[in-house]
This record gives sequence, C-alpha cells and structure tokens, in this order.
Amino acid sequence: MDERAFTRVAEEYAGRLYAVAYRLLRNRADAEDAVQRALMKAFAARASYSPRWAVSTWLYRVLSNVCIDELRRRRPYPEPAGSHAARVADGGERIDLARALCAVPREARLLLALHYVNGLSYRELARVRGISINTVKSQLKRGKAILRKALEDPKG
Amino acid sequence: MNRMDTALRDFFADAVAPAGLVRRLVPRLTDGPPGLEALANRFRIEATDRGVARLLLGRGVAAVSPRARRHAAQALEELREYLAGRRAFFAVDVDLADVAPFQARVLAEARRIPFGETESYAELARRIGRPRAARAVGNALGANPVPVIVPCHRVIRGDGSWGHYAFGGEMKTRLLALERATPALVGCTSTRIVCRRGCPHERRVAESNRVVFASIPDAQSVGYRPCRTCRPARVA
Repeated sequence: MDERAFTRVAEEYAGRLYAVAYRLLRNRADAEDAVQRALMKAFAARASYSPRWAVSTWLYRVLSNVCIDELRRRRPYPEPAGSHAARVADGGERIDLARALCAVPREARLLLALHYVNGLSYRELARVRGISINTVKSQLKRGKAILRKALEDPKG
Repeated sequence: MNRMDTALRDFFADAVAPAGLVRRLVPRLTDGPPGLEALANRFRIEATDRGVARLLLGRGVAAVSPRARRHAAQALEELREYLAGRRAFFAVDVDLADVAPFQARVLAEARRIPFGETESYAELARRIGRPRAARAVGNALGANPVPVIVPCHRVIRGDGSWGHYAFGGEMKTRLLALERATPALVGCTSTRIVCRRGCPHERRVAESNRVVFASIPDAQSVGYRPCRTCRPARVA
C-alpha cells in the first residue's frame, strides 16, 4: 500500500476509529491521541499489510492494540469524566450506561464497542482480536449480562 | 433485537469524530516514535559478578571478570532494545549490594512499578511502610546508581509534575513517552501465547499476528496462555 492509498484509507476510517477509541477511553484528547498513534503505527507497518485482510480488520486490530495498552495504564479504573449519561427508555429512568460499562471486563468491553459502534460481525471481531468465534460470542454474552446486572443494580 | 441491543447501539452511535480530525492527523503520520536508540551508546556500564552496579553517562564498560562482562553486555543489549521500543522489561541482574538498606528498599519497590505506569513519591513511601518519608524516597531515587534499568523515571510528584531526574527532565519525558508508545504484553494470534515485549518468542511474532493485552487474566479470558520463557504471569 503506497502513501497516497494509505492516506485515503486513513481519511475513510478515522471517524470510525475515533468512535471506538472515544467509547473505550472516554475522553476526546485520549481518543484522538489513540487514533493518531494507531494510524502512525499502521502507516509505519503498511509494507507488512496483506491484502487477504480487510483494511478495516487491520486498522481495528492496530487501534484495539493501542486502546488496550492505554487502558492497562489506568488503575484503578477512573469514574467516567462528567459521567456521560445515556438516555435509555426504561420506565422513564435515566440510566448511566457509561458507568455500567466500567463493570464490564476490558476484553468484553472492546468487543462490545467494536460490535456496536461499527457493526463488526462475529467473524471480524474474532480476526481483530485473534480469538475464536465462540469466544467472541461468549465474551459478548458475558459482557451484556454484566452490563444488565450493573444497570439493574447501579450500586452493586 | 432486544432492548439491550438497542440501548447499546444508541449509546455507541453518538460518538462523532471532531470536525477536522483527519486533516489534523494525516500530516502527522510520518512523525516517528521518539528516537532514543542512539542513547544506548552514551551510557557507561559498570558491572560486578552479581550484576549491573552502575549506569552513568559516558562510554564503555567497567567489568573485571568474564561473568561481570556478560552482565554488562546483556545490560547494553537490553538497553538498546528498550530504547528502540522493542523491550518492556529488563532481565539483567542488578547489583545493589553497596547501597544502604533504606535506599535498596526504595529501589526494589521502584522496580515493581509496571512498565509505562507512574507512581508518586508519596505512594512509593507508603508502599515501603514509611508514609512520611516521601522526601527521603526522592533522595534515594535521586541517587539511583542504575537509572533506566531501575525505573526511577516512573516516579513523579504527587501534583503530576516530573520532579528531579538524574539525566534531566527532557530525558524523563522521552522515556515516559517511549513507554507509552510501547505495549507491554503481546499475544500471537497463531500460537495464542502471550509474552512480555522483548521476550525471544515475542520477537518472532509476525506483525500481522500481534495483539496487545492489558493483563494476563484478560489474555487468559479469551483463550491465550502466558509464555513459559518470559513468564509474564509473575509480573503482570
């Protein structure tokens, strides 16, 4: 992939990569930084890009690697900045989905973000993280179960 | 689609990239990582039979026995890899036999701060059971005979500022930036084994097979096992 082709790809995917990074890292500066680092890494490694991969799978892999390593440094997990509250129709109650997501383990949270932000299929998710499709399914199921529990019992 | 799916789709859908993001990022694609590799040749390494005893600015190696020379050579190689962003841990032995007991405790605790993370002088003082000795901890770290390998650069002030560093504030910034750009735990998608960055097995992993993990339990939760050579489970 030459420099021009890469720039076109970066322009096409930057918005989607940002959406995933923002949902995982939960602040604009870190999300932008993660997208920049992912694109820089992908640009440096563009010679090793194999066309048998979808470009999107490759970019999501690189971005996931950056975001997961960024999450590793955050301990203990901080409360959401400004507590982004999502409006979910549930008997008129406002439920803080961002807060509930903190209870979901990192790997499942990443899969949820990739699945729901960009609609990645189980097969694509499996390729992005190098795991089996069954593991993808069980992680998503587990993530949603934890989320449901956290939403029903916000204190617990 | 159930209600949870709808809620998640709505929640995740509203993260919109700021205007002009791509315009800002694309011209910076060729910005390289901090080029620190050459610095490895500007250190002087002193080693004993027990390990590396001193790391100073300068050149060359001071080691009398063959065993000491092996420690020094290993330290130089690991420093080169670390500064090039290819290593997230030092396996070389460190000789702190000539260091006072309090300083040795501080340095031993500093070695436990994970790669890429930072801790304040006060936190470190608390961890060694001397919560009021933050300043003494600072002095002990300031006299660290083996900087970089004993990562005193990961200790910062409570207010987030860098504090003193033997090789200067700019070097501290560059080391922390380097660690931020280097992942610590790398998994191979074909073997499903997770290694520390710098492990001989990790170096053989093809670029397209690399996935990063935040912790060993995370990796295990999706079917990866820790490497038996670099044993990441012991430190992560």
